Parts: sequence; C-alpha cells; structure tokens
Amino acid sequence: MADRIFAGVLLLVAIGYTVIAFTVIHAPFQYDPLGPESWPRILGVVAIPCILFVLAKPDVARLGLPGKTWRRLAALIVMLFAYAYLFQPLGFILATFAFCMALSLMLGARLVPALAFSAGIGIVGYFLCTKLLDLNLPAGVLTIFR
Amino acid sequence: MDAVLSGLASGFEVALDPFNLFLVLAGCFAGTLIGALPGIGPINGVAILLPIAYGLGFKPESAIILLAGIYYGAEYGGRISSILLNVPGDAGAVMTTLDGNPMARNGEAGKALSLSAVASFIGGSFSVILMSFFGPALASYAIHFSPSDYVALMVFAFASLASLVGSNPVKTLLAAIIGLMLASIGIDANTGVARYTFGIPDILAGIDFLVVVIGLFGMAELIHLVEQQAAGTLKTLKIDKSFVTLKDLAFVKWTILRGSVIGFFIGILPGTGASVASAVAYGTEKRAARDSSKFGEGDMRGLAAPEAANNASAGGAMVPMLTLGIPGSGTTAILLGALLLFNVTPGPLMFQQRPEIAWGLIASMYIGNVALLIINLPLVGLFARMLTIPQQFLTPLIAVLAFIGVYSVVSNPHDLYMITALGVFGWFLRKLQFSLAPVILGFVLGGLFEDNLRRALSISGGDWTILVTSMNSIILYVLALLVVAVPIVVGRMRRNRAEDQSPEAPA
Repeated sequence: MADRIFAGVLLLVAIGYTVIAFTVIHAPFQYDPLGPESWPRILGVVAIPCILFVLAKPDVARLGLPGKTWRRLAALIVMLFAYAYLFQPLGFILATFAFCMALSLMLGARLVPALAFSAGIGIVGYFLCTKLLDLNLPAGVLTIFR
Repeated sequence: MDAVLSGLASGFEVALDPFNLFLVLAGCFAGTLIGALPGIGPINGVAILLPIAYGLGFKPESAIILLAGIYYGAEYGGRISSILLNVPGDAGAVMTTLDGNPMARNGEAGKALSLSAVASFIGGSFSVILMSFFGPALASYAIHFSPSDYVALMVFAFASLASLVGSNPVKTLLAAIIGLMLASIGIDANTGVARYTFGIPDILAGIDFLVVVIGLFGMAELIHLVEQQAAGTLKTLKIDKSFVTLKDLAFVKWTILRGSVIGFFIGILPGTGASVASAVAYGTEKRAARDSSKFGEGDMRGLAAPEAANNASAGGAMVPMLTLGIPGSGTTAILLGALLLFNVTPGPLMFQQRPEIAWGLIASMYIGNVALLIINLPLVGLFARMLTIPQQFLTPLIAVLAFIGVYSVVSNPHDLYMITALGVFGWFLRKLQFSLAPVILGFVLGGLFEDNLRRALSISGGDWTILVTSMNSIILYVLALLVVAVPIVVGRMRRNRAEDQSPEAPA
C-alpha cells in the first residue's frame, strides 16, 4: 500500500512532467534536431511504464512505523524548517543553539549536557568556520561578531 | 608503460607537495572518524563533508585529493562500526558484519580489526596499482569515442545499474530516471529555454549538485537516525589485545587476492560499487572454501574477502570516473560532481589536459593507503571511541554540518529548504527500498547523457540510426543486453537446480 501511494504520487508528477514536455517546452530558434523538449519526453515515456509496474507489483506493503515515530519525525521536519527559516535572520550561533537544544532534548538528552553541547556547537562552530576555515556563515542579530 | 611511470612521477610531485600531503592525511583521518560513526557510511560521509571542502577554496587538485582521502578513510572507518557494533555504515559493509562481528564476540576483536585493516590495505593498493595501468590505457582508447558511443556507454551504465544494484531492477531504473529528471530542471544550455522552473528564480540555473547530494544522503540519513530512536550510547564490544599474526595472513592470502581481483573488476563496472563487490567476494570465498561451516561464525576468510573487495572496488570505481567521466559507484558519482564544480570535466582528455589532477589523485591514493594502514593499526582505539558519541548529540551535529556546508557555498537560504525537502524525499525512497545511489548517478550523468544524444543527432541531422553504426556502440549495447540477461538466466538455472535437489534448499 505504501508503495502504491508513493508510486501514485510519482505517477501524477511524471504525467505532469511529460505533458509539459509535450506541450509547453518549445524553443523559438533551434539548431539541433532534438531541441530542449525531446529529452524530457523520452524520460517521461520511460518513467511512466516503470511507475505503472511498481503500482501493479508493489513490494513494500506498509512502512511499519508506530504513531510515536511519525510524530517524532514530524517534529524533526518542523525543527529543520524552523532552523532553515531562522538561519539567516537570527544568525548561525543563536539558530544552531536553539535547533541543537530542541533536537537533543527530543532525543532524550539531559538538560545540562544539552545546554553545554548546543552552546559549544554554536559558538565554537561559528568561530572555527568563519575565522579558521574562512567559510561564510550568517552573524544575524549578533552583529558584533561579523 | 613509460607514460604511466612519468605520469606517476608527476603525480607524486603533486601529492607530495607538503600542503597536499597534509590534506591526504587530514582527509584519511577525518574520513576514518566519520566512517566510524555508527550508521554513517562512506557515501554519507563524503556527502556531508563535500560542500565544506568545496567552500574552503582550495585548488581543484587539492580539494579532490582531500575528498578522495575522506572517501578512502571512510571505507576504512566503516569496518570499525561493522565489527564492534554489528551496525554496517552502508550496503557495502553488510558483508563485513557477517564474520567480523562474530570474531569480535569470540574475543578476537583486535585480531578482526587488524586483519581487516591489512586486507583493506592490500585490496586498496592492488586496485590503485591496476588503476595506474588500466586508467591511461582506457583513456587513450576512449579518446576516439564519438557522442553516439557515449550514448551507448550511458545505456550500458544504466543497464548494469538496474541489473546489479538493489533488489528490484524496476525500482533501481526508476530511481535513476528520477535523478535524470531532476537534472533536466533549469535553463537548457543549447537554446536558453527554461525547463520546469515555474518561474522560480532560485532554480533557473538548475538544482545545485551539492544540494541534491546533501539532501538525499546527509539529510535522509539524519531522518533515518531519528526514526531509529537513536538515543543513548550503543553497546560496543571491547577491543582486546589479540592481533593478526603472519600465520593468519598466510592462511587468508589467496582469499585477499581473490577478493581484490573481484572487487577491482566489479568496481570498474559503471554503477556497481562496494556493495556488489563485497557480496560477490564473500559468496565466492564461501563456495571455494573446502570447509565452509564456520562462515558466519567468525571465519577469518569471511572477513578478509569482503574487506579486500570493498576497498579494491573503491579504486576500481575511480577508473571509469577518471577516464570516461562515468562514475563506477554512488560515491564516485559525488566525486565526479565535485570535479565538475571545479570546472574540471573528467574524461579521456583529463590525463592530457589536467594531468596534475588525474595523476595527483592516483598518487595520493598510494599515499593514502599506506597512511591509513599506519594510522589504523595503532589508533583504532581512538576511532572506536567515536562509536560511543551519544546519539542525541551526533544527530543534531549532522544537521548542523549539512547546513554549514550548503550555506557557506552559495549563501542562499532557499537551499536550506531544498535540502530538507530532498531529505524527506530521499528518506521515503529509502523506506520503500529504492536505492539512492542510482538517483545521484542519474543526476550527475543527466546533462552528459542529453548533450551527447543531442550532439549525435546533430551530426546525423536527426537520423537515429547513427546510434548503432559504430562498432564501439554495438559492442556496448550487446554488453548492456548481457548484463541484464545473464543474472536472470543464472538465477533461473540456479532455482531449477535447487528445485531438483531438494524443495527447500537454502538460497
């Protein structure tokens, strides 16, 4: 069933991809016989039978994850998107601190070690990367470190 | 012959440059560390560290030497978690756990680790030596390949991928097509027409290679770790004082040699890397052994064969990557993408145009192998400490490394959303038993495949028969058919024989 749902979604995307390849993509001037549209057409035409095959003969019935795991994964995804959202405006140090705290606490770390770890990664990570390795990381609201 | 020796000499000149030498050692060390982390294999390690290595702004040959060191080191490090924890870092390390972990449980952990280090060293060195001869020969042959031959080569690559990787060939093929489709997003270079960008400016230039790699490997791995409720410290077996002896080595010398040969040649096949090589080597050894009853309970041969094979395949996989521009495995696909980031196009011309990269890389692999053996025998205890990093801290650390890597390269926060979304997608693919390596191979080869097809048809003026006119391409199509047909036929024959003998013969 899990396989079928995924393949179903994939099929819709592939059909959309193929339809676009056959209708929308078109070059006003084209110098080679194939143009920009032929390659996506070929891919779409090969992909759809493969997906239909998976639909007909699925081999993964269910993902077999308990509800608790799903909630944990959902929380992780929310944290990651929040981290991505805050990364630039808040700056590396604060965003990383918040993200590491949230995730390590969710995974069962105790408060004090989690605090030490998160602060360490945020501050040491920032200076290691920006000063020593010369990588570009956002300073965010802590503009004094820029 | 002369060309090989002078090439090697110039390569060692590059690799022995103090800075590059330092990078080889640093790469090997970092690779072993990250490879030893439980559940993180070479491909994830290279994926996570690639953008950081790129962001450091080294010269291309230095960066690629660093990455190859990480790749090699991670192959070495992976065996530590396989043996002491029974947790393989990737598909290629599964075979190592079969006999390596029982040996450690029998009180021979030190011996298992040192034996596997020696086996890895021999496998790795063997394949680098073969590579120094095969590579240039193949490159000088491939120089005459026409675009239509390249199309045939790609077809062969994808055929061997579908037939040899993963459990379900259709899913493997589909995974490769997903990669090809992802690669088709962005402005078409020939005509300037935007494809599948839907007016989003961030993907006009296509989805960045680093984003795909980090998303599909780094982030998907992270989600996987959280799914496993990765908390607390995993129980590791202690390293004892036992050590490999000359007698042991004499006992397994043919095993190691066979494993190395098998590994190298399977590694050369496009798309099939360590996982297939180690499985074939283990199977061969089990069948060849006069007394195979101990296999699976801590037989030294069962450990030496897959270890030699998987390191030999790491070298073998470099051959098509360097000479044809077609990666031999998922990890070399990442290295290929890394070279492309530096505007270096691997292929037959690289040995002539950028010898410092081609030969420097090869020479650095000689050095890396020796260095890995030296740092692995005494320092194995230090690396094993990595296994005891509490999972609740390791997991966030992976996310932070991935974010640093992606952000530091283009500084576009949009990419951070992309890696998260691709991570979710990759995790679903993994849960549904698609392999991820074909996706990245498809993504890396997508542009090359399309370009060559279009170039071939431009030459012929739209006549498709050009694809099957040259001898090279016909041979490649025949090989592609063979690589698909042979496993099916052999599988059927074996099943028939098994049914003849007993209805419940073990598979």
